[in-house]
Order: sequence, then C-alpha cells, then structure tokens
Amino acid sequence: MAMRGFVRNFPPLNILSEEDVESVHRGMLRVLWTTGVRIEHKRGLDVLESAGCKVDRDTNRVHMPPALVEECIRRAPSSFSWRAKDPAKSLTMGGNTLYFAPAPGQHTIDLDTFEPRPATRKEYYDAVRVLDYLPTLHFFTTYTPYFGYAGVPPCMGMLESLAARLRNSSKAVVVGHSYNSERFAIQIAQALGIEVMGTCTAAPPLTYFEDAIDSAFSLSEAGMPVRITGAPVMGASAPATLAGSLVSNLVEVMSALVLVQTIRPGTRTMLLDFAMPMNMSTGAPAFGNVAVCIHISAFNQVCRRYGIPTYNADGYPGSKRPDYQSAYEKSFRAIFTGLSGGSSRPLHGGVYGELSHSPLQAVLDDDIAGMVGRYLEGMSVTDETLALDLIEQVGPVPGHFLGQAHTRKWWKQEQYIPKSSDKLTYPEWLQSGKKSCIDYARERMEDIIATHRPMPLTDRQEDDLERILEDAREHYRKTGRISSDEMTAYRAALVSGGPTSA
Amino acid sequence: MALTGYPRRFPALKVLTDEQIERIHSGVLRVLWTTGVHMEHRGALDILARAGCRVDYDDWRVRYPPALVEEALRQCPSSFSIKTRDPSMSLQVGGNCLYMLPFPGHHTVDLDTWEPRHPTRKEFYDGVKVLDALESVHGLWSYTPYFGFEGVPPSMCLLESMAGKIRNSGKFLTEGYSKGSEQYTIRMAQAVGAEVCVPCLLSPPLTYYEDAIAAGLRGAEAGLPVRISEGAVYGGTAPASIAGALVSACANLIAPIVLLQLHRPGTRIFLNDFTFPQNMTTGAPGFGNIAIALHSAAFNQIWRRYGVPVCNGAAVPGSKRIDFQSGYERAMNAVLFAVSGANFILLHGGVAAELTHHPLQAILDDDISGMIGRFLEGIEVSDDSLALDVIEAVGPVPGHFLSSQHTRKWWRAEQYVPKAADRLTYPEWLKSGKKDCLAYARERMEDILAHHKPPALTASQEEEIERILEEARAHYAKEGLITADEMETYRRGMNAPGYPYE
Repeated sequence: MAMRGFVRNFPPLNILSEEDVESVHRGMLRVLWTTGVRIEHKRGLDVLESAGCKVDRDTNRVHMPPALVEECIRRAPSSFSWRAKDPAKSLTMGGNTLYFAPAPGQHTIDLDTFEPRPATRKEYYDAVRVLDYLPTLHFFTTYTPYFGYAGVPPCMGMLESLAARLRNSSKAVVVGHSYNSERFAIQIAQALGIEVMGTCTAAPPLTYFEDAIDSAFSLSEAGMPVRITGAPVMGASAPATLAGSLVSNLVEVMSALVLVQTIRPGTRTMLLDFAMPMNMSTGAPAFGNVAVCIHISAFNQVCRRYGIPTYNADGYPGSKRPDYQSAYEKSFRAIFTGLSGGSSRPLHGGVYGELSHSPLQAVLDDDIAGMVGRYLEGMSVTDETLALDLIEQVGPVPGHFLGQAHTRKWWKQEQYIPKSSDKLTYPEWLQSGKKSCIDYARERMEDIIATHRPMPLTDRQEDDLERILEDAREHYRKTGRISSDEMTAYRAALVSGGPTSA
Repeated sequence: MALTGYPRRFPALKVLTDEQIERIHSGVLRVLWTTGVHMEHRGALDILARAGCRVDYDDWRVRYPPALVEEALRQCPSSFSIKTRDPSMSLQVGGNCLYMLPFPGHHTVDLDTWEPRHPTRKEFYDGVKVLDALESVHGLWSYTPYFGFEGVPPSMCLLESMAGKIRNSGKFLTEGYSKGSEQYTIRMAQAVGAEVCVPCLLSPPLTYYEDAIAAGLRGAEAGLPVRISEGAVYGGTAPASIAGALVSACANLIAPIVLLQLHRPGTRIFLNDFTFPQNMTTGAPGFGNIAIALHSAAFNQIWRRYGVPVCNGAAVPGSKRIDFQSGYERAMNAVLFAVSGANFILLHGGVAAELTHHPLQAILDDDISGMIGRFLEGIEVSDDSLALDVIEAVGPVPGHFLSSQHTRKWWRAEQYVPKAADRLTYPEWLKSGKKDCLAYARERMEDILAHHKPPALTASQEEEIERILEEARAHYAKEGLITADEMETYRRGMNAPGYPYE
C-alpha cells in the first residue's frame, strides 16, 4: 500500500504543439551532441566514453550521440516506487499522480515581525512534526523544512536534517549532497531499511562538478532513486527565452540521466525543472514570476513524452509574508504543475524565496494542495450525478434540493472545504473577533504540535542512526570541516530543547 | 480596432470526455422537454408556443422540443463585436479571446477594520476611475464597482451606477435591471454611441420571472447583446453533484436563448456561470470553493461545443479581507477559468463575496490578470527563441548569458512583472519598512486617482445623460418608488458642489 497522492482524471494541459515539442527535443539532442557538457569527473568521463560519447579530456567536454540519449531515455522507468519509513507512506512516482513536498527555507520567520532567523533544534523537529501530519504533504525534499538549525556546522546540515525527518516523520525523503554527505545518507537508509532519493545537481550552464557526479555514482550503485537537477537562471546561466532555457535545462538533466542509466540501467530517475527568470534591471531573481509557470508546463509536457517523472522546484514566492501576493504566486505554481502533468513539486511552508519557511505557512498551504488535488480528480458523470430524475421531481421554483438524500450524499465530495479558512458570514465573522485564515492556521498548527505523535524509530533504528551520525561527525572533524569550537556549539545544540521526537 | 484582451494560444483544458459531453447534452435536452421551464411572461409563452414548444399556460410551464433547441443554439453567433463609447475599447467576444472584468460589491470596505460600509458618490466615481485606468480591466460589469452610493434611492441605484460608469470610463458596459430600468440604461448608452449589454437573470431552479424576460426581449428588440446569468447554488437550487448542477445550468440558460433567437434571430448572447456549491453544514454558499472551477471548466467545454461565448463570474473569495486566503481563492479559480476557455472573467476589486469591493483590491487583481494573460500567450518556439547557437557560443561554466544581445532582446517579453508586488530582497525589504503588496497597491491607487483622466463626455452627451436621469427620477417618484424624504436627500447630493463628479 502506497500513498495515493492526487490523481488527475483528465488529459493534461498542453501548451506546446506537437511540432514545438519536436523542435525542443531536436534542439536538446543537437546541444548534447554539438555543444556537449562539461563533466569534472574522471570516472564519469570514462563511463561515458565507453558508452560511446565523444570525450575531450583537456576540457572535460562530453558530446553525447543522439542514439545513446534516446536509449537512456528508454531505460529510465516511467513509473517507480520509493520506499518510506512507514510502508503505507511509500510513493509510486509517475503517471497521472501528483505528490507535494515542502518548500525549503534557510530560516524560520518570526510570525509577528515576519523577519527571518535561524531555527532552533526544537523548531526544526516541530516543523517536521507538522509536515508529517499534513495529509496533502507526501514526501520531504532536500533542505526541508530548514537548511539546518542553530549550532549545526554546515557540513552536517543535510545529515541532521535527514535524522530529524526520520525521527519525526514516516514519509519518504530526498537527500542532497555536500562534501559527499550522500554516502552517510545511503548508509543510514540501508541500516534503517528505507530508500532515500538522492540528488545530482548541475552547475548551469552545461556543467557538472565532481561532488554532483560522485553523488550520482554512489546513488545509482546503491540502487537508490536519483533526482537530477537543472537550475537555469534565465538570462544568466541560460538563455533569457523560455524555449532556450527549456532546452538548456533539458540538456543538463539529460546528460546526467545518460550517466546514471549507463552506470545502472533502469535506475529510478526524476527530472527537476528549476528555471528562475531574472529581473535584468535590478539583477534580482524574479521569485514568483509567471514565466516559471509556463516553463514548468512546457518541461512537464516534454518529459511526459519521455515518460520520466518530474519535480517542479520553483515553489517560491517573492512576498515576505503569507499574504495576497504569496497566495497568488503559490496557487499559480501548484495548479500548473497539476494541470501540465508534473509528478511532484514543493509547496508547503515556503515563505520567501528559498530563504524562509514556517509551519504556519505549511498549514495554510495544505488547503492550496487540497484544492489542487480536488480539481485534478475532475468530475463524475453518471446517471446518479446527472440527477435527471431528481431535477424532474424537484421542478421549478418553489422546488429546491435542500434536504434531498442526493444532496446529503454528494455535496461534500464535490467540494474541498479548506481547513484553515474564514467561512463565516459577516455577522459571525464580527462575532469571532474577525478571525482570518492566519488565526485558523495558527490554531491548527498548535494543535498538531501538541497532539500529533509521529511513528517512532525502533530502538535499533535509532541506535544505527545515531552511530552513523557519529561516524559522520568524526569524519568531518578529522577532515577539518568541523572546528573544535563548532563541535562544542554543535554538541550543545544537540541536547538543547530536550527530546524532540515522540 | 477592438481590444485584443488576452488571446489563448494553446488548446483549452478539457475536463470532460466527448462521451461525457454527449451524456450531459442529452440530459439537458431531456430536462428541457420532460421537465420544462417555468416562464412567467405571457408574450414569451406565445412566441414559444407558436414555434412548437408545449406550453401549459396555467402553470407557465414551457417544454422545448430538442430540434428547436439545436436550431436556436446554431443561431447564436459564436463571436461578435460590442460597441463602446471609446471605440478603441470595443470588444470582439468569442473564440480564444479572454476579457477581464471587475467584480461587484454591495459596499466598500474600510481597509483598517475590514468592515463594510456604504460608499459615497465620490468613492463610487473614484472606483470607476481606477477601473478605467487599469489596462487589464477590459470593461465594466453591472453593479460595479458598488451597488450604488449614499443618498441614492434604491430604484435609482442602477441608473446612477450606469451614469457613473458612462461618465468616468469609455469601456464596455453592462447593467442590471429593476422595475424596468433597462429602458433608461439602453437610452443612456445610445446617447454616447455605445451598446449596453442587457442581462436576463434566472431564478433557479428552472424559473424566469416577468422582469427577466421583459429585459431580455427589450435588449433583443433594441438589437443589443444579451447576457444570461445562471446563479444556482448546488445543493440548494441545483443538484449537489457538479454534473447535475451543470445539466440544470445548461437547461436554465437554453430556455431564454430559444426565446431570444425566435424573437430576433442572430441576437448576440453570452452566458455567465455564476454558481456556487453550498456548505450544507453551515448553509453558507461555498465562496472560493474549488468545485466552482470544475463546474466552470465543464461549462466552458460544453458551451464551446454549442458555440456560445461564456463568462465565468464566481472567482469570489470567502475571506473578509485581502489576505492569503482571498489570494488563493481568487487566483486559483480565475486561472482555471482562463485555461478552460472562459471568454470573460469577473475579477477585479471584489473583496468578500458580492458584499464588498475596493479599488485597492482591483489594483492587486490587475497583477493576477497580467499573469493570466502572460500564461495564455504561452511559449514562442522559433530558431531565435530556442537559441541553440547562443547556447553553443556560451558553452559550459564559466560561460554566461548576462550580457548577450539575445538576453537584452528577450528577457522582458518572457515575463510579466507585477506592478503592485513585493519584489525586494530581504535587506531591501527591511529598509523599505517591510512594504507589502497592499502598500504598493495603495501607492498605485493614489497615483491613478491623482493623475488618470478618463475620456470626458461632450457637453451635449452629459446633458443627455442628465436629462435621462431626470426623466427616470420623475418616473420612479410618480410610481411611488421614491418617497419625498428620499428625494430630498437625493436632491441634496445632486446640489452639492462638484456634482456629478470632480
């Protein structure tokens, strides 16, 4: 039994014509062959060369022949399962299913001033607890909820984050790579009997550095699923056009796909689109811009042709607080991933850019996800839902449908009723003290933190986890990534706030 | 030259299969023939009886033979133009073109307390001025911005509203009717060389009262476009299932279509889907509910088949303030209306349900409209936009696209840059005093009010408008619909300095 996710029951939105898709595909193949990509990894070059790529060892440039690319696309599974700590929370990626992940934030925000600040360990674990509870949140992506918490040295951020999610949640997890942290993450997964999806992240334009390729090797050799990331900034690390940045993003993810499908054919892969338009007048990334929605819709359409599951990484509003602006920015992104057949995307909890996250925001976003999910289900057209006999029986005014058995049966399933929204009439609202969605979300968040008990690790799993974390700490201390001062602060942070897991 | 609005450059989203459409269509025909519609208008019944409908004069019931229905649908023009006072604002309705219109509110709202209150004459005219200034507002709607203003007797609200819109805007007009007021609105529009679209409003289930039919016939006789509005609540005045509500909506709307096409073949008609699901626990309409977007998507798909342009009116929030909830309720419904093929969307300015409107909200919605418009444009896929040669020339890291000619040419066209949104970085935002979208919208609103000059009426047009208003005032006073006290208050407003508006 896997988590069902949201299933789309009608054909996806196609914003490209078939001819456009073909042009984009041919463009991608041409760049992969003519321009090629730079791969800073000796073993990676060896593997690709023996697979038939043209490799220039002086510039580390790899040119990929179209037939190999097409073959590797065929090797990638169009749908695959991914085991979570709780088997009931395992996922089946691909097809018409949409899953949501949290949107990462470097920091938490103060809910009165909306200013960012580092999260404490307790806040980190509480945020995971909230995400574990929310029914529309299906897995954890990298750097979620926060990039780490106060006192943790940067090299241990990813692993402490993984540990918190494994302790306070039973949902599937994605892990990033920094200083080869993916090796410890894989050890943890193997010891605990779960699967982590790892990442291999390009450095646009058209470049992979050593750490990304190391991660690709470790993951595919361990048989773990891999998420491949292109992250073009339109006008900076990719062409400023949607079509051009689509091609360059596809080239980036496809080159690593060729590598992992060569290392281990059939490796479960997910392709990530993270295009960021830029405001060229100010040089600022245009978080929240609608161009992103167009980009992901086109990316999902091309990847549907390939039959490879996708992740649309740009759930990031430009607003600094949960307000009208952040709501329209988020709603657009979430709905277009759903309509265009994306397999997954971040949504819950991200406040501004990738810079802040809040569980209160995650609770609000649970309702956006619920609405998207309900829409994707579509509508049922049967004799019963058409209700012709009922219409005949009720007739014109003063006939009405209140109190009909048909109404009692159907009304609730046709809607999605948001959990943290103001649904009162004006008089009731005045009486409530003018409660807003933020007030309702805060109540729900506090209730979840107080009462939700995540599925605990077994004692043995907890011992294994702590042992591997200790190995990692020791490794990074020895290799000079953690200074002794940092280690002292780190140890203090680990015991601050008391036990945080159930 | 008509306003181009927002052309959709890709096929509309389809939530129904062809077979499902067929089932709904047969259901609609069956309801029209078997159940029939209650139509309280003697003249209409005569017209329909002559054309072959089965009419029961005792209970005003009309039953429509399927062939007559199909013929009337064929007679509806699938695309048509509407004349406006400012010829550059005329509309070309139908096809892939989307126009955005404002959403009405009974009252204005106090932006500090979020409580509703009556607008003054100046606020009404200022509200129109802001709508006239916003490029994404392609016309004005009935009861917009407000249902009337302080000091105006109820019987004159619609006519004062019409006059306010004519005086402060050259855009498309439609206005409601009450006690025969449509005869005056039609003349006011004629006085300025415009066509007013006359509504015909149904009282679900399956019922039309005399005033609705009289207004529709009067509009058709004057050769004006007519809009027919469906305002059912599913679970109350329509079945609770979306498919059932849809059958009921289509049957409701076809009843006057047949009448109008018999009375004046080729009458320009568009339909407004203004339906809500009901929350059966609280009895409140589910404003903002996602079921609305599903209903409208199916509605649009069916009426595309019939070839009659459609308006989706129900993107109206349940929240009482401009906040995260109202943002997702409005944005998600509106964008789904757009991709499923709406020809009109009611959007700008509605704050809570139909109860409040504010120009500040209209300015925020200008950005949602801009985003929708940009999305509908889709992606240009051409040699230039694919940029394969630029990608080749730039190559991998350290190549970049920042200063390329291609970037300078393209970056802006690919985005929509919102006008009233927080686009700052964290440090800039702190320095700005944490300005949010509301603060930006307020600045823009004040700037518009200070600087925008709506196209002025000529002296003789102004005289004619005032003369028609005077005639209506005298008529309603004589009919006893304006008391002496009401008239005294009303006159005081008219005699105030700066009347009608400065």
